[in-house]
Amino acid sequence: MTALRVSALLTLIGLAFMVWSMIEPTPLPVMLAMSVGQAFGTAAFGIYLWVVVRELRREYRRVPPQDRS
Amino acid sequence: MASWIIANPLIAAAIGCAGGSAILLLWYLLRRPALSHATKLVLLAAIGVLPLATATTGNVAGFEATKARRFCGSCHVMTPYQNDSEDPHSPALAARHARNALFGEDNCYACHADYGMFGTIVTKAGGMRHIYEYVFHYHDMSLEEARRTIHIRKPFQNATCMHCHSTEGPSWNAIKEHASLLDRVRGGEVSCASVGCHGPAHPFSKLEDVR
Repeated sequence: MTALRVSALLTLIGLAFMVWSMIEPTPLPVMLAMSVGQAFGTAAFGIYLWVVVRELRREYRRVPPQDRS
Repeated sequence: MASWIIANPLIAAAIGCAGGSAILLLWYLLRRPALSHATKLVLLAAIGVLPLATATTGNVAGFEATKARRFCGSCHVMTPYQNDSEDPHSPALAARHARNALFGEDNCYACHADYGMFGTIVTKAGGMRHIYEYVFHYHDMSLEEARRTIHIRKPFQNATCMHCHSTEGPSWNAIKEHASLLDRVRGGEVSCASVGCHGPAHPFSKLEDVR
């Protein structure tokens, strides 16, 4: 799943920004963590949700209509 | 650095969550397991729960870090202000407050914060503007030029002083200048930090004729 690998990479980059800001709490790292880092993290989680919802819908469509609860 | 992280439980928790998330993500990226229900749950923790915990605790730690004097002093144009605050012999108003344990390491924030209903948000928004101004206008400025160029944006509010010095106490009112100017001080007509009263908080930053 390419999308999930991208999501995982985005999460790692976002986490790196956040950890950097905690190790070196100066203006640039703190601002980057609170903007870019969180944007990456949010985008990554959005991609994850999109992939999971898409998978669930596919599974749902595979089940014949009479077997759906 | 390790002792500093251990001494801050929020930072330790944030770094712990980030580490846990990174381990799970590296496992997923290197092992490339099938997208089973178990894998989805692991990824929910690695991409959702643990990073959210890191961001939440990291934000709180970040907001606390922005209150510290060393944070303000990390922009070079603020170095003289930081040095003066840390000088145990400085007679400046800012330095005298920094020597008070109630202000201590957070003395810049304590005096420059907005104490209104949305004060924290207003203060942080102002801080964002400071970063913008520094990056785009003052980054390469010499300290001498910065001393002449950079000024407080709005006149210092007496309300900030009155956050601690209420003007209600008998010892405060026992000073005849305080008593005679009580209404004008409360109304902001006479600044506590004016030259005839307590003087500017950072006298070295003022032009020669104001000292």
